[in-house]
Amino acid sequence: MAEGRYDDLVRDLATLGRGVDPPVPPKGLATAVMDRVAALPTPDRPVNAWTRVWRRTGRWVADIVESRRRRIALVVGAVLLALLATPPVRAAVVDWFGFGGVRVERGSSGPSAAPPPPEVAQDWSVSEAAAAVDFTLSVPVELGDPDGVEVSPDRRLVSMSWVTDEDGVVRLDQFDARFDFSVLKRAPGVFYAAVGGTDALWFEEPHEVVLLEPDGSRRTESARLAGHTLIWLDDVTTLRLEGDLSLERAVEIAESCVTVD
Amino acid sequence: MRGGDRDAYAELVNRHAPVAIRTAALLGAGGEAEDVVQEAFVKAYAALDRFLPGAPFRSWLLRIVANETHNLHRASGRRMARERRAWEQSQPLLLARPDDPAEALLSLERQSALVRGLARLSPEHRQVVTCRYLLDLDEAETAAVLGWPRGTVKSRLRRALIKLGDMLDTEASRDRAREVKQRG
Repeated sequence: MAEGRYDDLVRDLATLGRGVDPPVPPKGLATAVMDRVAALPTPDRPVNAWTRVWRRTGRWVADIVESRRRRIALVVGAVLLALLATPPVRAAVVDWFGFGGVRVERGSSGPSAAPPPPEVAQDWSVSEAAAAVDFTLSVPVELGDPDGVEVSPDRRLVSMSWVTDEDGVVRLDQFDARFDFSVLKRAPGVFYAAVGGTDALWFEEPHEVVLLEPDGSRRTESARLAGHTLIWLDDVTTLRLEGDLSLERAVEIAESCVTVD
Repeated sequence: MRGGDRDAYAELVNRHAPVAIRTAALLGAGGEAEDVVQEAFVKAYAALDRFLPGAPFRSWLLRIVANETHNLHRASGRRMARERRAWEQSQPLLLARPDDPAEALLSLERQSALVRGLARLSPEHRQVVTCRYLLDLDEAETAAVLGWPRGTVKSRLRRALIKLGDMLDTEASRDRAREVKQRG
């Protein structure tokens, strides 16, 4: 389909929808629902549901620990089986959590492999980029000077990439951790890891990543599938490292980061 | 029920009520949108143990809302009659104009042309356009709400846009011809 031909139509349909006077939810809705819910017979399998979740979780931990024991032991202080381990109601409420401008939503398992991260154009030098943004930039010594550096037009995001023999394409995105929302990740599972003694998030499976506007809405055109990704905070900067990396290697690169003056 | 879960579910109701009511209204629940939504939240609660951790709650809830809305018109007899009843409920919402004309987002002509176009679409095409564009759900949510495979959503959406685009073009060229005739 010629995409452009329907742009106006799609835009006007969205406008038409927005113009509908939204029926206001009645004030007592939650109370009315809860009163009716209280009168319902108790669901008869809550314990079973819990047990199932815990068993599944336990197997998952066992598998992961077994296959990566040596590599993981050094770096993972705690493994958080993010939202799988919460009871159903609580899980539905906490269906996302935030981490330094990153919004993590639960998603289902996607494809088993992700393409390498997109390379960055050679538009900027590291020092120009550092001067252009309000947060502190870092460069990992482990990877040397980046092959590409880019600053987003709104100056909220700096991306760097390296094409390496050992690790393939590696990409590092940095943005201001003080924003509520910058990036959305929808992933089946998330682990806590540690970088230099502080909390980090490790995404082992391919997952969807989307840039967000400051108000939390998605920049749909930015959506893509990402592979292994490590996210950590350094003071006011959130760093996001992506590539065909093991957790051990990702942490090694992360810990080699030095601030650009 | 434990106290914490109660609060958690009430929070969930408050958070998702606006989109749920909007969905019910545009899918044809009319004045019964509130009842439909209350019913949907109660049913969702009763089925929570079947809710898969990992599935987004919102899509699941909206699917129940869509089913409940559909059930409203079950008494209207045959499928075509049911669909017509549903559209009769949502059409006035789409045709409404703000009290202050300055606040109108679309010209009166464009708005009525779009609604006329929607009226002439098949029920399936209208539903997919309603979910994806009027309600601004993403493709996966649209698939979940309508209970269709994602590929079906894609292809119906594409065909619906082509039809709608053609209808609007034909109408526009007819108007132009009429104008020329009147002037002549």
